[in-house]
Amino acid sequence: MKRKNTMVAVAGTLALSVAGFSNTATAVDVSIDEIVNDQASGEDIVSYGLGPRGQRYSPLTALDKDNIKNLYPVWSFSFGGEKQRGQESQPLIKDGVMYVTGSYSRMWAIDIATGEELWQYDARLPEGILPCCDVVNRGAAILGDKVFFGTLDAKIVALDAKTGKVIWRKKLGDYEAGYSYTAAPLIVPTKAHGPLILTGNSGGEFGVVGQVDARNPDTGELVWSRPTIEGHMGTLNGEESSMTGVKNETWAGDMWENGGGAPWLGGTYDPDTALAYFGTGNPAPWNSYLRPGDNKWTSSRIAIDPENGEIVWGFQSTPHDGWDFDGVNEFIAFDMEKDGETIQAGATADRNGFFYVLDRTNGEFISATPFVQDITWAKGIDEKGRPLFDPENRPGNPAESADGKKGKAIFAVPSFLGGKNWMPMAYSKKTSNFYIPSNEWGMDIWNEPVTYKKGAAYLGAGFTIKPLFDDYIGSLKSMDPITGDIKWEYRNKAPLWGGVLTTEGGLVFMGTPEGYLKAFDDETGEELWKFQTGTGIVSSPITWEQDGEQYVAIVTGWGGAVPLWGGEVAKVVSYLNQGGSVWVFKIPEGLASN
Amino acid sequence: MTIRMPGFGQRLRHLAVLGLLAAGLCSPGLQARPVDDVVDSGKLVVFAYSDYAPYSWKDDAGNAQGIDVEIGRRFGESLGVEVEFLIRGADENLDDDLRVNIWKGDIVYGKYADVMMHVPYDREVDARNELAVLTAPYFQEQMALLHNQSIHPTVETFGRFVTHPIAVEVDTAGDFFLSNAFRGQLLQSIRRGRTFQDAQQLYTSEEVGALMGARAQMEWVAHESPDIDSQIVQPPMPGIVRTGWPIGIAVKHDSRDLGYALGDVLTDMIDSGDMKDLYARYGVEWLPAELP
Repeated sequence: MKRKNTMVAVAGTLALSVAGFSNTATAVDVSIDEIVNDQASGEDIVSYGLGPRGQRYSPLTALDKDNIKNLYPVWSFSFGGEKQRGQESQPLIKDGVMYVTGSYSRMWAIDIATGEELWQYDARLPEGILPCCDVVNRGAAILGDKVFFGTLDAKIVALDAKTGKVIWRKKLGDYEAGYSYTAAPLIVPTKAHGPLILTGNSGGEFGVVGQVDARNPDTGELVWSRPTIEGHMGTLNGEESSMTGVKNETWAGDMWENGGGAPWLGGTYDPDTALAYFGTGNPAPWNSYLRPGDNKWTSSRIAIDPENGEIVWGFQSTPHDGWDFDGVNEFIAFDMEKDGETIQAGATADRNGFFYVLDRTNGEFISATPFVQDITWAKGIDEKGRPLFDPENRPGNPAESADGKKGKAIFAVPSFLGGKNWMPMAYSKKTSNFYIPSNEWGMDIWNEPVTYKKGAAYLGAGFTIKPLFDDYIGSLKSMDPITGDIKWEYRNKAPLWGGVLTTEGGLVFMGTPEGYLKAFDDETGEELWKFQTGTGIVSSPITWEQDGEQYVAIVTGWGGAVPLWGGEVAKVVSYLNQGGSVWVFKIPEGLASN
Repeated sequence: MTIRMPGFGQRLRHLAVLGLLAAGLCSPGLQARPVDDVVDSGKLVVFAYSDYAPYSWKDDAGNAQGIDVEIGRRFGESLGVEVEFLIRGADENLDDDLRVNIWKGDIVYGKYADVMMHVPYDREVDARNELAVLTAPYFQEQMALLHNQSIHPTVETFGRFVTHPIAVEVDTAGDFFLSNAFRGQLLQSIRRGRTFQDAQQLYTSEEVGALMGARAQMEWVAHESPDIDSQIVQPPMPGIVRTGWPIGIAVKHDSRDLGYALGDVLTDMIDSGDMKDLYARYGVEWLPAELP
């Protein structure tokens, strides 16, 4: 950093060429300490979430509320070809190079000084592949001289960061059985094994059992695995370690063998507690009447000790889920100052519409506050963190309408796409508030006349998503985690599907499906700046400092789950155009604060 | 618009609801192929389910096998074209299968088939899937129970499976029936195979004395394991949505004439007795489709 500042002092053009030279001559070398301390260093981004806690907070101050109006694009890089749809990735930055993944399992290294491509990697996807979970990818991990990312055919690939050549490739699951991979891998330190690369599996087929795997980043060899469903054995160093929970405690019969609970959105890591936090998907099958019990650990957050893969604690946000409320949303560690004490807390904004604060050391419940309006599925959350279900608003058992007639519809809020979906929120160390990208929508659910599965008749359910309000679905909210007060709200016509970034400079960045990257005042929510990128944004912005200047970048490319929906939601998104690119911004020299 | 409930929130299996919208946005390189185009190209692409013996499966060498595959070959012979089989697993429901295999294709390569085998012939399904046409019912599907008579000499009701294990393929109509039946009293007894083969294995290893599924599948299992003293029964199934339904084929909405041409092949096979013989080779009694 300092070295580069000296170069900048010589001359602008010279600095560029020297930076370019250093890119090609020096080996890429990211240490585990750099990853653990990623948040503190503004000049690179070597983890998903700008630090392993996933706070998406940058200490940079060069861009602020006064000068943000001067932010202009530096370059735009196209992902090219026909595969433009669904860009949900967060780029990584190291030594003047951006590493960014794209949909359909692609990755690029780009010279930030010029916006030119250094290399591209295209995974060869098998023809028979039917990825369960769309064609998106959410980002890469970096360590040493390698970058890592997962592909749609459920493999993890380690590439030479310099050349993009494959160093190793390992299978995470069988794509023919419905496994896939879309999350950014998580790299954590351990004493016993050195750094490990952690992945959660993803798969849509009934029969999938959620699992977190830890691998040696040098070789890709499996070190430990931890199933998320009670009754399954974990492994450590190639041998059985311990069973997850107690078999059949919260599952009937052999249903635990196929229970679901895939931690498909990946995890976060907190250096203070040395725990990795993963969220788990909802249970299978969707009809909750077929699986009595709490069905642990589906729709939960679990804390895993990376040394051995043991579950230290679990917290189930939606026990016995009946609404498709995945529990995968990110759990963000933060220190909460309350009544003169510092609480080692963590927060998560669940699909089910409640914002939970837990003690991150032991998973004990601290508080839950609705972050979307008019929640119907539960009347509230009790003092232990358990939902007070409203039986009237649990989807009915299709078997109750065996006459094959369409049953009575219930209206459940939030919809199964959640008060908040995969898109990560941000936590500001400056304001001590969370910034939550949420959506105000519900769903009608009814028992459906006969439908068929694999050639055989059964009774299913039908449902349709409906906006709660005429004029907006998306809602970015600033929430005080201590009081649960919503400090401000920004309303957006289309549903939000991209992540949030906040900075010490007092800014909150977020992209919209309408194509704007926007910056807001972190205290008032006032919109301070926006730029139209030409296609919808469903990814997470980043900011970093390079050669003494603060940059902002966003990946654009409309897609993800929202455009796949019909009904009333389609009206606000059906006109959006495809695209697929990265935009990089900075403030022209002389207009920044310092 | 109707959208079926997903098993996992992450799954994007709801594309069918978009109907026309999605078709406009994401039309892959392939176009619908009326019968003349298929004949001109010299190739017919036939979809059949994987892991679905005796109708269709891939053998260890990766070759398509089964009753529906043999019917597909007859389609090719009749049109004078080669047949390419597209063998893929079942999605959440038939509407999704029609989308992925007949009118839109998969989300990575956009590949789909000219004709889909083993499609329940149902007016409502036909009506809500505007881009697919269901036609030519050629067989009657039924639900049944297979039991090992050395373990269960007779089975008149499902009552004995409150205390005895019963095997079924996970996440199928049989599984949903058993899980719901008798207010969940069978829940502790259900032994779910992750695939049909796994469920079959539970039965043929004589670990479990009963297997539930489609009647033809039960006949096939009995046929494949002649050493087991098997019997097929159809006890009362309270709460089951249908005990039988006709099976036909599906083509894309603008390939109706292909559907008619293939329907003629099926009619010929039925009229000549070839259909009955074909099913019999797999140990299955062919039953004529009963139209509602």
